[in-house]
Amino acid sequence: MEKLDRLGWAEGLAFDAFGVRVGVRVNVSGMLARLLPLLPPGWKKSRRLVTQRLYSLMVAESGERVGMRRLHLLYADSARVARDAALDQVLEAFEADLHLHTAEASLDVTFLHAGVVGWEGRAIVVPGRSFSGKTTLVREMLRLGATYYSDEFAVVDNSGLVHPFARPLGIREKSSDAQTRYTAERLGATVGMGPLPVGMAVISEYQMGARWRPVPLSQGQGALELLANSVAVRKEPRQTLNRVHELARQAVFVKGTRGEAREAAESILSSCSERGRLEVA
Amino acid sequence: MKQRALPRARKDCLSRELDDEVLIYDPQRHEGHCLNSTAAAVWTLCDGKNTPSQIARIVSRQFSAGVDELIVDLALERLADVHLLVEPKMLVESPSRRVAIRRIAAAAVIALPLITSIVAPTPANAVTCRHGGSPCTNPGQCCSGICALGVCLFGDRRKPGTKIRSSAVRDESAPEGTP
Repeated sequence: MEKLDRLGWAEGLAFDAFGVRVGVRVNVSGMLARLLPLLPPGWKKSRRLVTQRLYSLMVAESGERVGMRRLHLLYADSARVARDAALDQVLEAFEADLHLHTAEASLDVTFLHAGVVGWEGRAIVVPGRSFSGKTTLVREMLRLGATYYSDEFAVVDNSGLVHPFARPLGIREKSSDAQTRYTAERLGATVGMGPLPVGMAVISEYQMGARWRPVPLSQGQGALELLANSVAVRKEPRQTLNRVHELARQAVFVKGTRGEAREAAESILSSCSERGRLEVA
Repeated sequence: MKQRALPRARKDCLSRELDDEVLIYDPQRHEGHCLNSTAAAVWTLCDGKNTPSQIARIVSRQFSAGVDELIVDLALERLADVHLLVEPKMLVESPSRRVAIRRIAAAAVIALPLITSIVAPTPANAVTCRHGGSPCTNPGQCCSGICALGVCLFGDRRKPGTKIRSSAVRDESAPEGTP
């Protein structure tokens, strides 16, 4: 770390996000501005210099010796996170590592790997692993008028309410596993601002040609599905269990295999509306 | 009739009740479990003092229905399977679980004990994985599960149908000999 500290740093920033304080420094002026959109949503600048983790981005400058590869380097504290000739790849690794660290280190809230939208005052949570089709389902619900909360994390507080983590949606193009980012606004949706109680949690997987015929899950089974997608359950099991328990008490859980996202999205939103009407009645 | 040491639930596991189910997290093995009402009732009574027959009597009172001791034995066996008891080893060979289930399934007036289990994910497994060509520091970050020379290889092991581990639920009510 001392060796890194001795290098020349042009710009730096300390910030807080979800109760986690992180620092970033870069060796090239102007580079910090490129990092700001990659910070966790809702970050706030901090005046304190002591951080839980310090990222150091060393951008290889042009004009180095011919025949040598120019490699950009990213360190988290003293551990190397990325080393690549493509700066975009290094920035992608920065965002992924930073978001993971925030999700793992936050004591204020619990992060579940899930897509989330708001609908008629309640959150619809879609937990699931990569490639389970969370983002596709979220995008379809946005097209039908839902409010965007996240395509990556359901951020759950002590009361079981879900907060927005509205980073741009990462949509996989058909020909590639790489994601292209789209803001909710670009998809014609609005971004949710405040926390919401959970109305429904949908455990679904994509299967070509399948019809959406979900079955209800008990709260215990549903809570187990949430635990299976919680980032920090191994590190903070008690907190995670408490928050998942609170969330599960408010929610209805359904599980099923879906084909086209449109059919499932329409059915899910309609079920939530129906449940809301029943509660009012 | 089989015998076992007086069953005792592990104290280091975290648990929360949800309706009549119990959600349990095992911090030693990093596993989560959901116990249905029958399994939960038995687990709660595993204090190292109650015998299986005493547990059966208490559960019968709780459910206002006759609960066969075989159901308690089955629950204890399942709890032991998922390491929720302090002393999971059987002292005496028991009749096979399949035989026991066949005997009690027809007459059961309460749900058979059911435990669903998951392995808790590592942090890297609980976020979106990185596609081929992305920088990485450990295999868990990559969709392919392979991080070579600091770069994720192409391919993916996480597409639907390739769960790392699913539940411990088994259909044991099927007739013997069925696959």
